[in-house]
Amino acid sequence: MDRKTILSELKKVLAPYTENKELLNGITEETDLIKDLKINSANLVDIIIDAESAYNIEIDFDSAEKMYLVGNCIDVIMDKMNQSA
Amino acid sequence: MISTGNDIVALRSINKQRTCEYRFYSKILSASEQALYQQPQLNELPFEHYVWLLWSVKESAFKYLKRYNQQLVFSPISINTTTIDILPDQHYCGEVHFNSNKLFFNSIINNDWISTVVNNADDFENVFSDVHVINDKGYYDQSTAVRKFALEKLNTLFPGELRLEKHLAGYPILIKDDEDTKIPVSLAHDGHYISYSFNLNAVKLQVN
Repeated sequence: MDRKTILSELKKVLAPYTENKELLNGITEETDLIKDLKINSANLVDIIIDAESAYNIEIDFDSAEKMYLVGNCIDVIMDKMNQSA
Repeated sequence: MISTGNDIVALRSINKQRTCEYRFYSKILSASEQALYQQPQLNELPFEHYVWLLWSVKESAFKYLKRYNQQLVFSPISINTTTIDILPDQHYCGEVHFNSNKLFFNSIINNDWISTVVNNADDFENVFSDVHVINDKGYYDQSTAVRKFALEKLNTLFPGELRLEKHLAGYPILIKDDEDTKIPVSLAHDGHYISYSFNLNAVKLQVN
């Protein structure tokens, strides 16, 4: 799975926690989940767990704390997918 | 290091079932915090409330520390609550640690929300905080309402033209007559609930 495909799939993971769907459609790797997408920080654990289910991976504590930019999320997801391949 | 940090959790928005799943709460609570729940009386608190109480403590501590360490990234598991005392009227207080920083928290839990404020001393006399209910729960409604709520209280103490701006690192800056007051302010909102805290120990220091 390439970065573009993961980004597209990630939008589905983020959708339940994002009020502004227009902003969500326009996300890039530089988009900050809290500052830009206005996602409530209380939903960050939900997003990590939903990503674990969507990509069949396990995201450890150290990796989870990097997941504040969309690009970082993609890095972590790719890394974990490669580990479990 | 004078700062302030607060948080509010709307209890009707939490997913009780998911919160009680190990894969969820183990991303928030450290092993020692999971063990702390076995403390007598504390385990009478529903587990999902315990998890979100500690979340609000950690989020408040993060906001407190972020003002002085702008590169800090929120990692709930690395902020550790070490003691929790149960006080009357569903008040909880205790200590929370991050690296070498020791902070103190004060929390209230009721049927609707959990509200927490953090300070660097176990004395909250000059730390002001309050919670308010709003009708609209859209992000921008909450954000506007919480600023208005905090400014109304601040204006009773500091008459004049006050406004809140946002630092690039994300925390609020209180401006009075176009100058940074250096009074640390923290804002929080979740669902229909908004809350603020500010620490007037900063003003005492400036006077001295």
